[in-house]
Amino acid sequence: MTMLNVRDLGVAFGGVQPLSGVSFAVERGETLGIVGESGSGKSLTAMSVMGLLPLSGGRITSGSVEFDGQDLTKLSEKAYRNLRGGRIGLITQNPMTSLDPLQKIGPQVDAVAVLHLAMTPAQARVRTIDILGTLRIPDPALICDRYPHQMSGGMKQRIVIAMALAADPDLLIADEPTTALDVTVQAQIIRLLDDLVKERELALILITHDMSVVAQTCDKVLVMYAGRAVEHGSVGAIFDAPQHPYTQALIGCIPRGLSAGEQLTCISGTVPSVMNYPKGCPFHPRCTRAHDICAVTPPEFAISAAGAVACHFPGDAP
Amino acid sequence: MTNLLEVRDLSKRFTSGSGPFRKARSMYAVNGVSLDLPKGRAVGVVGESGCGKSTLARLILRLIEPSAGEVRFEGADLLKKSAAQMRALRADMQMVFQDPYSAIDPRYTVARAIIEPFVIQNREPAGRMQDEVADLLNMVGLTPGLADSFPHQLSGGQKQRVGIARALALRPSLLVLDEPTASLDVSVQAQIISLLAQLRDDLDLTYLFISHDLSLVKYFCDEILVMYLGRVVEALPDTSTPARHPYTRTLMDSTFEPDPKLRRAIVPLKGEVPSPFDLPPGCAFADRCPQASALCRAQVPELVNYSGHAVACHNPI
Repeated sequence: MTMLNVRDLGVAFGGVQPLSGVSFAVERGETLGIVGESGSGKSLTAMSVMGLLPLSGGRITSGSVEFDGQDLTKLSEKAYRNLRGGRIGLITQNPMTSLDPLQKIGPQVDAVAVLHLAMTPAQARVRTIDILGTLRIPDPALICDRYPHQMSGGMKQRIVIAMALAADPDLLIADEPTTALDVTVQAQIIRLLDDLVKERELALILITHDMSVVAQTCDKVLVMYAGRAVEHGSVGAIFDAPQHPYTQALIGCIPRGLSAGEQLTCISGTVPSVMNYPKGCPFHPRCTRAHDICAVTPPEFAISAAGAVACHFPGDAP
Repeated sequence: MTNLLEVRDLSKRFTSGSGPFRKARSMYAVNGVSLDLPKGRAVGVVGESGCGKSTLARLILRLIEPSAGEVRFEGADLLKKSAAQMRALRADMQMVFQDPYSAIDPRYTVARAIIEPFVIQNREPAGRMQDEVADLLNMVGLTPGLADSFPHQLSGGQKQRVGIARALALRPSLLVLDEPTASLDVSVQAQIISLLAQLRDDLDLTYLFISHDLSLVKYFCDEILVMYLGRVVEALPDTSTPARHPYTRTLMDSTFEPDPKLRRAIVPLKGEVPSPFDLPPGCAFADRCPQASALCRAQVPELVNYSGHAVACHNPI
């Protein structure tokens, strides 16, 4: 069942258009990876789904965000507030800053169930301890009495995940959930998210810049560049036969642990700033395959069953 | 092969301040670390946050004072040098820092940042200063036109290139690279790594490469040291030798491949890194180790050298 269906999403901040033509869908029990470099619009996409754009002065200018059949772009702020942290959970990148340093862990997690499930604080605490337990946090009752500064980064990230799960969401958006963590801790958290998707039939959107994390966990991938979707497909297809030169470069620039001696592919140049996205295909100044048309006409992005690619000259890597 | 750098039993003990309600506590950030860095090689030091790898880098350049041990650079004992002698020696051993955003003075132009080493060393470049700046910028793949820019006008990758140009200004033989790509995007990381590989060939550089990323270290380095809580737990003589320390194995198993066909079953490492202020009596990894025995909990394992491959473990794999 389709949990979230985003069609042709466009976002503007004043006269600047940092996001346009983004489409994707996530089913129950499925993980969608959204990948791209910093400034590609990944987090902005998450903010749009969460309805948090107005906080920073942005607005949705085109397209639809359908959650369980309901168009969120037409939702009132009050209705959105019920959804946010309720049926849609968010895990932010930096667990160090997403917890209140002055409040103990217990009340912070309890608040979610009190607010969204109309529980009493005592009921909520029972639920909190239960959730912390399923996240394999040792001594959950003891942890509730701790402050964030008394815990490690990995433990804090698990608390943030517990908060996102507390109201039993249907959709979970994880924005770079492991970027601030060590590799062994990252592996623990990824395993945890994987288990949650399977056990709870969650729909998970995993935002990351790391293609190896995508390869390990995702079912589908959306590659973004300069505020546009450039390629979409199943994880097998994207890694087996990436069609967009940007996707190919993103995969090629990761050093592989097992096979020593191979060359890293580089993408020359840098991600364009949102203030001056190039005309035509935004990737053309850095693309080895660019022709005249790429600098003039933006390529179409149309989703089909097999996937989609926004490129005038798609094809396997040379 | 002669060693450019030799480190013997290097330790650094930090003491936290005592107060009216607090006893002073101490911990070893680096504990008895030895390493050889042969001329022209790239040795990688890998470990997770808090393992002491950055402290090790700073101790080697004497940016912080070691508590014990020996650092020999081209045979000279650095710890016996005066501050002035040390400063002169540092012309030959430079460092590239992790965060290019904070490593370059925001009020300096790129040119000023790059010539700072000459000013500090009271030296003149061979040619005109302007030409030197242009040469250095070319060397790191930047256009000389950027010389008058300020750091805030540059991207992260460009800033790190300026950091590398500055480190190369005095033509050192040793570069200590402390997580030079950790704050950059993967595509930019690939650019910087390729640049460093090329510079190493062109300029006969020797690298000490500090990183948390095992696949990057395997890609870039000739030898690998793995650290856990201040100690070297394994020293791999090359990048293909299979790891024998359970911690190194865990690190490898936690590193994902960019290929969905190589998905692995993740066996999460149990427990948490113990506090360095309160280490267990035996092996620091024992509580999290699948093969720990009673001996591991009682006695710290020595680093034992098996023909070039050293492991600090009572039950190596």
